[in-house]
Amino acid sequence: MVSYTVRRVIELLLTLLVVSLVIFTVVRVIPGDPAQVILGVNAGPENLSALREELGLNRPIIVQYLDWVRGLVCFDLGESITYNRPVSLLILDRLGVTIPLTALAVLLGLTVALPLGVFAATRRSRGVDMGIVAISQLGISIPAFWLGILLLTLFSVNLGWLPSGGFTGWVRGPGRALASLFLPVLTLGLIQAAGLTRMTRASVLDVLSSDFVRTARSKGLPERDVLFKHVLKNSSISIVTLVGLQIGQLLAGAIVVEMVFHLPGLGRLLMTSLQQRDLPLVQGVVTVLVAAIIIINFLVDLTYSLIDPRIRFG
Amino acid sequence: MKYFRFRDVILTTLAVALLAVPTLADGEGGPVYGGDLTVALPAELPGLDPTTNTAAVIDRVMYNNVYQGLVRINRSGDITPCLARSWEVAEDGKKYTFFLREGVTFHNGDPFTSSDVAYSLNRVRDPDFPVPHPEYYRAIEDVNLTGRYSVEVHLREPSSIFIFNLARGDSVMLSEDVDDHSRNPIGTGPFVFSEWQEGQRVVLSRFKDYYEEGLPYIDSVAFEFIPDVNTQITALRSGDIDAIPYLNSPENALTLKSDADVKVLEGVTTWEVILAMNNSVEPLDDPRVRQAINYGINCSEVVEGVTFGFGEPIGSLMSPTNPNYLDLSWVYTYNPEKAKQLLAEAGYPEGFSATLTLPSNYTLSVRSGKIIAEQLKEIGIDLRVRKIGWGQWLQKVFSNAEYEMTVIGHAEAFDISIYANPDYYFKYDDERFAEVIERAEKEVDKSERRGLYAIAQWILAKEVPSAFLFSAPSLPAVRGTVRNWWHDYPIPVVDVTRVWKAG
Repeated sequence: MVSYTVRRVIELLLTLLVVSLVIFTVVRVIPGDPAQVILGVNAGPENLSALREELGLNRPIIVQYLDWVRGLVCFDLGESITYNRPVSLLILDRLGVTIPLTALAVLLGLTVALPLGVFAATRRSRGVDMGIVAISQLGISIPAFWLGILLLTLFSVNLGWLPSGGFTGWVRGPGRALASLFLPVLTLGLIQAAGLTRMTRASVLDVLSSDFVRTARSKGLPERDVLFKHVLKNSSISIVTLVGLQIGQLLAGAIVVEMVFHLPGLGRLLMTSLQQRDLPLVQGVVTVLVAAIIIINFLVDLTYSLIDPRIRFG
Repeated sequence: MKYFRFRDVILTTLAVALLAVPTLADGEGGPVYGGDLTVALPAELPGLDPTTNTAAVIDRVMYNNVYQGLVRINRSGDITPCLARSWEVAEDGKKYTFFLREGVTFHNGDPFTSSDVAYSLNRVRDPDFPVPHPEYYRAIEDVNLTGRYSVEVHLREPSSIFIFNLARGDSVMLSEDVDDHSRNPIGTGPFVFSEWQEGQRVVLSRFKDYYEEGLPYIDSVAFEFIPDVNTQITALRSGDIDAIPYLNSPENALTLKSDADVKVLEGVTTWEVILAMNNSVEPLDDPRVRQAINYGINCSEVVEGVTFGFGEPIGSLMSPTNPNYLDLSWVYTYNPEKAKQLLAEAGYPEGFSATLTLPSNYTLSVRSGKIIAEQLKEIGIDLRVRKIGWGQWLQKVFSNAEYEMTVIGHAEAFDISIYANPDYYFKYDDERFAEVIERAEKEVDKSERRGLYAIAQWILAKEVPSAFLFSAPSLPAVRGTVRNWWHDYPIPVVDVTRVWKAG
């Protein structure tokens, strides 16, 4: 187990290094000279080159890359052009929104999806099952921004119960902060729930038709015990895998949801930095997002052995 | 006798009632003090200093609210005194003497004096200091302090546009004792910068020592960054925000008009949408071809299709908010027959094909471009529409002039002189036009200058280096309680000095 973990950690670091190179290159391939975007259409060439010098864009590309990677190692992601603050601090600030948003959305997704998925599987092909499948299909198909606007129109314009977006910050009391996160979490969580419900249903159905379930039933075990002691435990591997896989999708959804509800999260930070061609900030945020996905998948791999003792790592 | 008196009473009452009706009907009443205003902005500010960054969003928040200039542009587009209570122009047009308002203090308590003017002007005209528009200050030769409250500005040559340039957000007066204007703004305006919650909002609050007695009316204004237009509208309808200063899409104005709690105001902007052509490539280098294109475009159909009729057709690159504006939108009325004839004269009886490059982020450009491409098919011109991102547009079309046609909005106020620059992306080289502009910019006499700008507009309307389409509408939407909001948008500013909230 220990040597497996060490090996995976080394793999992880190598992946991150390759990722850093890809991100650095892609950011530089985005069309549009940052100096021109900042100074606008009427800037003179002398001003443009002065600004490029100031931003360090005149240095050889390899020097720029090495400098950036050296910073990365000590969690120094450089300074944002827009905000004149260290990128790492900006990202830390924004995680205060994005982490609760995504974590609560996963929680909501699981709370809705697990019971619904199991329930649908045990009533396969009946009306209830068809209904759940249909609704979850709808949930998968509906774009996050659209669901967000529908919820906003209902709860904020028509009923006037909740704010139409924005974030008051945790310092002004968790109650108000949670109220402003309510609709975003609902939007993101329901979309998560849709995918998870289908996956839970499918994997429970799969396990239900296996031999050991038939054995358990035939030896007279009550259906409830079959379901909770055998079926759920055996379906959980694929559910955990899906949760891990959905992290990327979840973060992408968070970007959209943060735009719709104008929350100051990582997604908003990314969009702003792209608009302003704030290269250090774009690089920093993308790196953190990608690293999050890689690390979460790594943790998912490690949890397999906890769920299923048959999986051993050599 | 008594009978007559009675009639008089009735008549007087009726007259008073009739006079009172319009006041009651528009519900403007007297100003109300207090209250907080929340205004939506689509993007976050890249800083707080309007002098060093071209982003119009900085001007919208900071200009006239926090920072002020020597002169300003008022809501009808005229240049009026601000920190200078008056100014004199020498006969030769090369010397401006500004007499400053006394008793003005910066938000940090320091008095505003002539040395701050010298500091502010010398800072932006320094060739080593990166400002987005060095050309605004190139004419300045020297800034002389002639007293604590008077300043002389010497120009290299007369410039009529100089005073207009001083009215831009780029030319605000800063305090010499402040280090970081971009993070710690200290101005003279009616509002003090109070906080910038990154990713969320910028909040300004009333400046208690503001020099204009009784202003501003509201206690604070928060500029909330709401990137999604639909969310902006939802927030306005639910009352979470009080104003959307400019609506990008007219169809949203139509939607909001049906909401009883919201008012949509209509006005004009300095944003001129044009079909720009590369005058150096065949066949667009032939004026007859460009004229044919102008005859082939049904401008009122474009305005109707793109802005639902809210825009105003123009015939040259001058906004209807400009005092020098001349309506030349009638010069080319839609006439496909004449267009075909001109094309035949130019040697293209069968028409030709060209590429129309559109910046994908500007809805008005994309929509206009698609309608024009359809219209020009009628006269045999086949346009291949290509959409590219803004960064790419800046690089390919704007910087390198690697394009044939594009549709773009020119938002700068008073920008007709861009056609006098043969290197500009239009590649329009017209010595006569450049000379007229040069004379107009040096002309001190107001009516002479107007005449020269009229000639300049006329040349553009005849030579049509571009097809001038329409001036984009200003469509601010506010809650019903908000009063005295600017209808027009003569310069990038969201000035809330005189805005109040009724009950």
